[in-house]
Amino acid sequence: MSDEETDVLADDPWPVWPDGFAATPEDVRALLVLSALRGITPRRLLEVAVERGTAAATLAWIRAGRAGSENDRAFARTLDADAIAGAAEACGARFVPWDSPGYPEQLRTIHDPPPGLFVAGGVFPDPTRAVAIVGSRRCTDLGREIAQEVGRTLGLAGVAVVSGAARGIDAAAHEGALSAEAPTVAVLGCGLDVAYPPGSRGLLRRIRSGGGTVASEYPPGVPPDPWNFPARNRIVAGLCSATVVVEGAEGSGSMITAEHALEFGRDVFAIPGAVTSPLAFVPLRLIREGATLIRGAEDLLEDLGLELVQDEVAGRVDLSEAERRVFDRLVGPTLPDRIAFELGASVPEVVGALMRLELRGFVRCVGGRYESTLKARPRAAASGSRSAGEER
Amino acid sequence: MYGKVTGVTVVGVRGHPVTVESHVGRGLPSLTLTGQPGAAVQDARDRIRPAIESAKLEWPLRRVVVNLVPGNLRKEGPGLDLPVAMSVLAATRQVPSSRLRGWAFAGELSLRGSLVSTPGVLSVAIAAARQGLRGVVVPEANAAEAALVEDLEVVGAPALAEVVGFFRGSWTPMPIPGPGDDPQRSHLVDLSEIRGQAQARRALEVAAAGGHNVLLIGSPGAGKTMLARRLPTILPAMSREEALEVTQLHSVAGLLQGELVRERPFRSPHHTVSPAALLGGGSAYLRPGEVSLATHGVLFLDEFTEFRRDAIEGLRQPLEDGRVVVTRMAGTAEFPARFTLVAAANPCPCGYRGDASRRCMCRDDRIGVYTAKLSGPLLDRVDIRLTVPRLTKQELLGQEPGEPSAAVRERVEEARARQRRRYVDLGSFCNAQLPGPVARREARMSASAESLLAEAVDRHALTGRGFDRVLKVARTIADLAGSERVEPDHVVEALAYRQTPSALELEHVG
Repeated sequence: MSDEETDVLADDPWPVWPDGFAATPEDVRALLVLSALRGITPRRLLEVAVERGTAAATLAWIRAGRAGSENDRAFARTLDADAIAGAAEACGARFVPWDSPGYPEQLRTIHDPPPGLFVAGGVFPDPTRAVAIVGSRRCTDLGREIAQEVGRTLGLAGVAVVSGAARGIDAAAHEGALSAEAPTVAVLGCGLDVAYPPGSRGLLRRIRSGGGTVASEYPPGVPPDPWNFPARNRIVAGLCSATVVVEGAEGSGSMITAEHALEFGRDVFAIPGAVTSPLAFVPLRLIREGATLIRGAEDLLEDLGLELVQDEVAGRVDLSEAERRVFDRLVGPTLPDRIAFELGASVPEVVGALMRLELRGFVRCVGGRYESTLKARPRAAASGSRSAGEER
Repeated sequence: MYGKVTGVTVVGVRGHPVTVESHVGRGLPSLTLTGQPGAAVQDARDRIRPAIESAKLEWPLRRVVVNLVPGNLRKEGPGLDLPVAMSVLAATRQVPSSRLRGWAFAGELSLRGSLVSTPGVLSVAIAAARQGLRGVVVPEANAAEAALVEDLEVVGAPALAEVVGFFRGSWTPMPIPGPGDDPQRSHLVDLSEIRGQAQARRALEVAAAGGHNVLLIGSPGAGKTMLARRLPTILPAMSREEALEVTQLHSVAGLLQGELVRERPFRSPHHTVSPAALLGGGSAYLRPGEVSLATHGVLFLDEFTEFRRDAIEGLRQPLEDGRVVVTRMAGTAEFPARFTLVAAANPCPCGYRGDASRRCMCRDDRIGVYTAKLSGPLLDRVDIRLTVPRLTKQELLGQEPGEPSAAVRERVEEARARQRRRYVDLGSFCNAQLPGPVARREARMSASAESLLAEAVDRHALTGRGFDRVLKVARTIADLAGSERVEPDHVVEALAYRQTPSALELEHVG
């Protein structure tokens, strides 16, 4: 955070889009065109909007050459709002403008809120029930594991996980939430029809089919330009009441997300690492600056005032009868033979159920034995014998 | 004076007929061998005269030249002693030449004229039959082995004197008892002796049913060797052709106990084994290596990470082609080498990573180096990878003895029969042998099984190669279940057999 911005903060309140900016259909069409302009800076656009009052007036202003670059002017003249709306529809997205009731309330109070969002999938979560998990794309296996576990636990506790669908920590966080069958929100730094990062298509598809949401402030077709990502991070932070940073090297985007969260007055949590680890740079720096240190999902739940309740969890996660019976037997690392013997089932049956659970991230195999990955145990199932599995 | 008889030299496992001709002419008494005799054949020069004299026969005190035809083939092994001796005896008219026609001779002579057990006699007999000869004359100790070849008369003689007697009509050989019909002798070990380890036992069953190679990872004392040793007991019984091939290889290596090998071989070379001993070779005489001796059986490599790199690299060819080609100065030989590989390794250098009761003392970087050894192109051919836990006392308590091998073998044979029927046009016998694209085509997955596999790929639980491996193993599990299609249950079980040491990494760093 630069000093300059701190001054802006002190000046309070920062500018937002005027009321009625995109209230009429004509304004919404103008806003679609404005959202596609690539030359004018978001801040400048906001200034013009505050001056002119509506999207249509702003667009007219730019077309007249009173603001923006020569390119913007040429571009604004040729762009067709219907074409943009059509492309959005083609990739299953709708446009949510500033004045729409679907516009997430929590974004109205952030710095440089997006004038509108392209949204595919479900609705935005209640801000008090949304937590961002961010971190390095090139993370360690351990970081991935932690992000997944935090994502899963939040999902089981009924909290929506918000992240950027990038490789590494982002993807792991989404996966964790998906394994708890909880809706999760991915905010992209490119158009919704652009498959970035490569290989994320499957993840995004499952987010949408799992009742989650994929959103972007960029219209379809916008490439993943490097400067889109810091901007995208303000939306990730803005959608949530808290941000968790898992791993991040110096200069990482996760620092930007955390700074945005602080700026917007939201909570910031960080998972520490070894002081010598380059990937612990961002979390440790945030902790020094006052972020809350958490050791895992359990700490986070406690700090957010949430609890896992067995029945609620059971209601959220759809386990088959066989899977549930096997899962309930996992008190500490357990041999499949043992479970088969206790349940009177065949070993292939038990192994099959364990694999289904492992695929969904509830179980993992350690040295030939299987254990539950849920560190924060559902309350009703809390039993002393569990401690063996928690020793590290 | 001239005489000739037929002998056989063995290159690799294949016998090549050799015409051994002798000329006895004027000159100082001497014996010259021509026609590329190898070292062991050269030795015959000095052995044959005492052997003939011990047999109360006469050695010509003249210049003797023995030529081995064809001259472009290097002749190896001591089996040419007898044909050389017979050829000299024919040239000096001590045996009737006309009666020797149609017979092949093989056997090593001692100085007292007796015939010593000789490696490779089965290959000799097969070559003789292929050549359309009437019969073979071999040492008595190897007679049963030669008699495995159909439509071939076998004379098993104790010594040179009896061979001569046979052709003079003064000695009759003992009849050779025919081979028994029992296709599989009872093994010394049985699967039921393993307590606990149900998942590993099941994995062995799947491996046997589909011909899959196996990697077992576990701490010392987990029972890896015990498990591997029992894999041959649940493999289907060998067909006669398979048994003959195994017998031939063991014969060439000089390991044969006289008759047909009926049990599937189990070979477990020590990790200090040289590449030549593992893959075949040798400086003078090309011998089959452990990979060939394990043909139709199990090659068990305990302490897999400790094997020499060049030895392990050399396993790639036999794993892919089911044969090994050995090229040395002495020539080139091809040996069959179609085996099931069972590799075993500790989870880390100290052996206790992931163990329930002992702490691992390894440094992270050493574990990284170690696990890197457990990947690579060779292990891509290993479909089943399983962690075998070291059981604690409590875990062992109350474990009932498992199923006996015979019961498991029945299921395995049914599953194999199903695969043979399905792949009758493909030239493959089991799921493990299918190339990736064919496996994908032949898997016959149900739609829900397919979407489950796709999900596993999506969740990064599977790589491209891992996908093919899981597919093949799932196909085998379906075959064991008697199912026409691969169902989701088969896929999830197959996913359990893809554990790698890297899966342990999380536990370690966490």
